Amino acid sequence: MQLTIISLLLCLFLFAQEVKAQLRNLPFFPPTDNKKKGTQIELDSTTYDPSPPDAIELDLLTSYYAQDGNNGAVQGGIGTEQLTDYASKVSLKIPMTEKLGLNFDAGFDYYSSASTELIDNVFSGESSSDMRVHGNVGFSYKLTDQQTFGLRIGGSTEYDYNSLNAGFNYGWESKDRNTTIGLNGQVFSDRWGIIYPTELRREGPHVSTDKRQSYNGSLTISRIINKRMQASVQLEGIYMKGLLSTPFHRVFFQEQEQAKVEQLPGKRLKTPIGVRFNYHVTDFLIAKLYYRYYWDDWGVQGHTASVELPFKLSRFLSVYPFYRYHTQTAADYFQPYKEHTLDQEFYTSDYDLSELQSHTYGAGIRYSPVNGLARMKTPFKKRPIFMLKSIDIKYSHYDRSTGLKANIISAGLSFSF
Amino acid sequence: MKKTTKTIMAFALTITTLGSCVSVKEYQKMYLNDSEMELTARKVEYFETNFQTYREGASGANGGKVGGGCGCN
Repeated sequence: MQLTIISLLLCLFLFAQEVKAQLRNLPFFPPTDNKKKGTQIELDSTTYDPSPPDAIELDLLTSYYAQDGNNGAVQGGIGTEQLTDYASKVSLKIPMTEKLGLNFDAGFDYYSSASTELIDNVFSGESSSDMRVHGNVGFSYKLTDQQTFGLRIGGSTEYDYNSLNAGFNYGWESKDRNTTIGLNGQVFSDRWGIIYPTELRREGPHVSTDKRQSYNGSLTISRIINKRMQASVQLEGIYMKGLLSTPFHRVFFQEQEQAKVEQLPGKRLKTPIGVRFNYHVTDFLIAKLYYRYYWDDWGVQGHTASVELPFKLSRFLSVYPFYRYHTQTAADYFQPYKEHTLDQEFYTSDYDLSELQSHTYGAGIRYSPVNGLARMKTPFKKRPIFMLKSIDIKYSHYDRSTGLKANIISAGLSFSF
Repeated sequence: MKKTTKTIMAFALTITTLGSCVSVKEYQKMYLNDSEMELTARKVEYFETNFQTYREGASGANGGKVGGGCGCN
């Protein structure tokens, strides 16, 4: 949180400096077609990167998230959904040779959840908390001028959930660099630490396995349409099997007062298709559009659309308001509190699987000056300068038709050395 | 579902193939190379995308996570 506040203050300071610079009539926005001027060299400084080609890139990300609502799945769809989460992540890209690069990332989520305490039916008013830690390591290898290949492995752990993953990626780029194709695959092998609601612990096992596997494959095609437009399409398939319900979610029935543990099928196939379209409308305005259609074999169909309008206040400073709309149908197995019947095989009162519409809106600010925001000398001969390249801060408000509301503020800092 | 999927795939195919009519040279990419024009989610959206994945049954095709955490709170 402190980092977020510091980042915000720093950004405001830099914004003031930028405005001051504008008032002194420093060059404003550039783009001119260099070809018309008889040169074929890209001179636009919006793309100029002062870092050496073999620079190590470091990214720090942090966010604070808070939500509240009254449809907590632990209480069968009627309890509190109060949750706060403080998350941070660090990513490192290290070029080893011209062709080989190593990637590392690690992070944590420290969350505090009121509903988790209700697993034991005792609510003291204070939320219980836990931490999730995660990390990944991988490499990227340039096969030819047009092709790259990479592998990665990683894992995460929290109190009742552990996960391992492995994945690959392959990228191809056309000779004129107008078309790119990306293939990604990833496998997750997860294990639950089974925790049942307190009143159901004496009864026999309520779930048949504590394992979950997820297989993910995606194909992304990106294409330049003209000098100001580009678009991409992403087709994805996600197949999950194993324990897909949550053992400490209660479900209440019409016929009895006693709750049962949530039950969901042991398989799920998700197939989202996403389209992005970016248009540099004027020198100062960009329109970023996104649409996703989603379908899965649990009966959920969804449509998501978003629009983001980055305004370039200068070459290096952008403000981007955005709006996102999402709508989905309910899963076949969802019903609210006490509306299920005992003859059903699968049942859940988790409102994340209910019919819903959500609205997300907010704004962000990004500052990435051509020579970086700050520089510091290092004791290393090969990498004498440690530079803060850019800062990005974003605030979002999330409003769901079920009554859940959430706020998130995120900050990202990029360094190179 | 099938009709909607076909429509979307046709739209996607149109975008990716019709665009090939124009080949943009490197020196003409001053707008396309703008960092705001990247065809991926922003790095700073990493955590936000994860929360959307948890709070909405629908997920994927947006660079967000697809596994590796129960998201059950």
